Amino acid sequence: MNSTPDDNGDESLYPIAVLIDELKNEDVALRLNSVKRLSTIALALGEERTRKELIPFLNDSSEDEDEVLLAMAEELGRFVPYVGGPNHAHELLVPLESLCCTEETVVRDKAVESMSKVGQDLPESSVAESFIPLVKRLATGEWFTSRVSACGLFASAYRRAGSTQRADLRAMYRDLCADDTPMVRRSAASNLGKFAEVVEPEMINKELIPQFQNLTVDEQDSVRLLTVDGCGPLARLLPKDDAVRSILPIVQNFSQDKSWRVRYNVAQQLCQMCDALGPEVSRRELVPAFVRLLRDSEAEVRVAAAGKVSVFCKQLANDQVMQAVLPCVKELSSDSSQYVRAALAAVVMELAPVLGKAATIDSLLPVFLSLLKDEFPDVRLNIISKLDQVNQVIGIDLLAQSLLPAIEELAEDKHWRVRLAIIEYIPLLASQLGADFFEEKLGPQCMRWLQDSVYSIREAATRNLMKLAQEFGPEWARDHLVPPVLGMVNNPHYLYRMTVLVAIASLAPVVSHDVLCATMLPVVVSCSKDKVPNIKFNVAKMLEKLVPLVDASVVERTIKPCLLELHEDADVDVRFFAHQALSSCDAVTAA
Amino acid sequence: MSDLDRWIEQLKRCEALKESEVKELCERALDILVEESNVQRVDAPITICGDIHGQFYDLMELFKVGGDCPQTNYLFMGDFVDRGFYSVETFLLLLALKVRYPDRITLIRGNHESRQITQVYGFYDECLRKYGSANVWRYCTDIFDYLSLSALIDQRMFCVHGGLSPTVKSLNEIRVIDRKQEVPHDGAMCDLLWSDPEDIEGWGLSPRGAGYLFGGDICTQFNQDNKVEVVARAHQLVMEGYKWMFGQQLVTVWSAPNYCYRCGNVAAILELDGALNKNFKVFEAAPQDARGIPTKTAAPDYFL
Repeated sequence: MNSTPDDNGDESLYPIAVLIDELKNEDVALRLNSVKRLSTIALALGEERTRKELIPFLNDSSEDEDEVLLAMAEELGRFVPYVGGPNHAHELLVPLESLCCTEETVVRDKAVESMSKVGQDLPESSVAESFIPLVKRLATGEWFTSRVSACGLFASAYRRAGSTQRADLRAMYRDLCADDTPMVRRSAASNLGKFAEVVEPEMINKELIPQFQNLTVDEQDSVRLLTVDGCGPLARLLPKDDAVRSILPIVQNFSQDKSWRVRYNVAQQLCQMCDALGPEVSRRELVPAFVRLLRDSEAEVRVAAAGKVSVFCKQLANDQVMQAVLPCVKELSSDSSQYVRAALAAVVMELAPVLGKAATIDSLLPVFLSLLKDEFPDVRLNIISKLDQVNQVIGIDLLAQSLLPAIEELAEDKHWRVRLAIIEYIPLLASQLGADFFEEKLGPQCMRWLQDSVYSIREAATRNLMKLAQEFGPEWARDHLVPPVLGMVNNPHYLYRMTVLVAIASLAPVVSHDVLCATMLPVVVSCSKDKVPNIKFNVAKMLEKLVPLVDASVVERTIKPCLLELHEDADVDVRFFAHQALSSCDAVTAA
Repeated sequence: MSDLDRWIEQLKRCEALKESEVKELCERALDILVEESNVQRVDAPITICGDIHGQFYDLMELFKVGGDCPQTNYLFMGDFVDRGFYSVETFLLLLALKVRYPDRITLIRGNHESRQITQVYGFYDECLRKYGSANVWRYCTDIFDYLSLSALIDQRMFCVHGGLSPTVKSLNEIRVIDRKQEVPHDGAMCDLLWSDPEDIEGWGLSPRGAGYLFGGDICTQFNQDNKVEVVARAHQLVMEGYKWMFGQQLVTVWSAPNYCYRCGNVAAILELDGALNKNFKVFEAAPQDARGIPTKTAAPDYFL
């Protein structure tokens, strides 16, 4: 390929010439960059030179680094317009074919994807002359990589093929399903569903199902594992009776497979299979399989199954949930694996709407309570974050009665993220409990959080105060929140005094002007005499926030003098924040 | 918003600065660090932290527990870089905070703040991977030479990365070291950054090949001679995050939870109030969902 600028010396082509040069550069980073812009190069070269020079060059480049080949495989999928449209698209098959045979899986997968795209654009003549023969060539290739790739191309080839070729292709796919190499059978298994979608319905039952059945009893568990994925799509394609007759027994067998990885995959996929087989069959036939998975000897399988409890139960009748699934849920709530309990905790709350009020109270509440006391913090967190769903079913009164003790305990949990989750739940609880009951049960705790040893909890506690004040109104805040907050201002530790300042600033917008100026502002001002600079510059920051909330006279009389004094402080940060606050005072006064 | 505030915001999102910005940041840091003493005087209240080792998201966890800078005053006792995935972002964030709030945060040098060590334990490779050249590594290691060697809190608590040195009897002997150099292989400056306390009498050979082991008697003598109550240091992984030794005359603080993402240890910081009352805050590694997508997007090794 000639990369020097054209004879007419057009300077605008120079960048393209550089790109072309860099396609051959020794530095892989430069080659990669160039390959990623292959379409720009093709556009500049024009269709004919792209076909005659660029594509042959790419044909010779199949030995490059995987990273470059991957980019090339991706680019070629978009290349039909650059070689002159569908009539010339077959020229792209040559470089893609060699990419389909590379050692690296990601390159092959991308090449198969691009080849399928190009295959759909080909005219009839090229399909018969080039595409189908290519797929056949790959399918009978000597090295397994080409046969692995071929499996992924059958669906798009079959869609375009004539009837005689179709029979050939089906026969070849049968051979691939029985290939000696497990890698090929794996690919055949995972592409079977996609292939079945384009095969004539009568042929599915006659030819594909027997192959599928063979794969389901493959000696390699990695093959069976991928075959599981085909159950759902195949069941959807078959008439209901056929599906029940041929697919259902397979699912049931898989759920008792000797390899736990296969059973794990069944647990992951079971809900899709329910969708495909319909609720009646699921209720009748799949519940025992699900229960078995919930009680599997392998913890990984129980994790997968436990995570599906609520989705699965939505398909079942109420009494079936009660009789078959709930006993398992109870067992799982004290499972020996913490991951199983965490998976259950993440979804078990969603059972409440399914079961209804009475059953939730009788059967689920004890499970919630035991999970709330779990020794593993993730389990507790998962329950807390879904509490509102139970709330909707059993009502706040009952929730409060039965769960409040647990919540009070978790409010002091040793993991701060659990405490944080509880704090974030408090405003909702407050709105449901009402002011009096809330004050009695949780008021003191809200103040204790302001003195938590973890900064994030103290910060969340100040936000919580604001939300409580918004919920219960300014008078309530004045009586119940302001006094205890102000009382903490003499804490010997500067970080806790700082929290008081932040709490005042977050309460300021929700209390009356009178309370703000008469009781809160003086406390902030008194902190400007603190001996720790950090407190003093936070006073400046907080005063800045109060400026828009108070009358201009208060700014002039109280806030500004205090800031002016801080502006002369020995500490540079105090001076900086005082200066910043003074500027915004001036901005407000000017406005 | 000033450049510096913008850089701090960006670094807090774990996004590295441009090479030209790193250069400017380091130049500004130099002006501040060059003024600091080898025994930098600091005031309580302050929170003392140990090794971080490029574990950026765990440093964020530290700030969540201890409070943000500048609200909380911090002293970091070295080993900001190496081993973790984000040495660049970690060190630059701490350095940017230092430049923005010089009186609120103090950084002293650890044995990993060295050209030799960072070429072996990851910081050099990380710079090369993230910037395509060693320039950023060069700017940072040049700044390492200016980091102070120790700190003295309210004349009562001596803070250093590693430990004591047989050639240092009094703090004044530290004050006269010319620190603006690569960490030497022996001598006082090396020992301060490399030594470890051990339950022995007197001095012992260090298995690390640099610095010494020192016993409780040495520590007692040092504390008496220099009228300090406690030596605070980092440098050694302790599973509980902190460890008292020699009858509370020395404490090790370790601030990299689940060190190297695999050790399973908790981390600690030491909060001192205005009267030097001590309060250890223990914390765990940041949970997975608080971490960014790991380094998968980084360029492959062969780009080097």
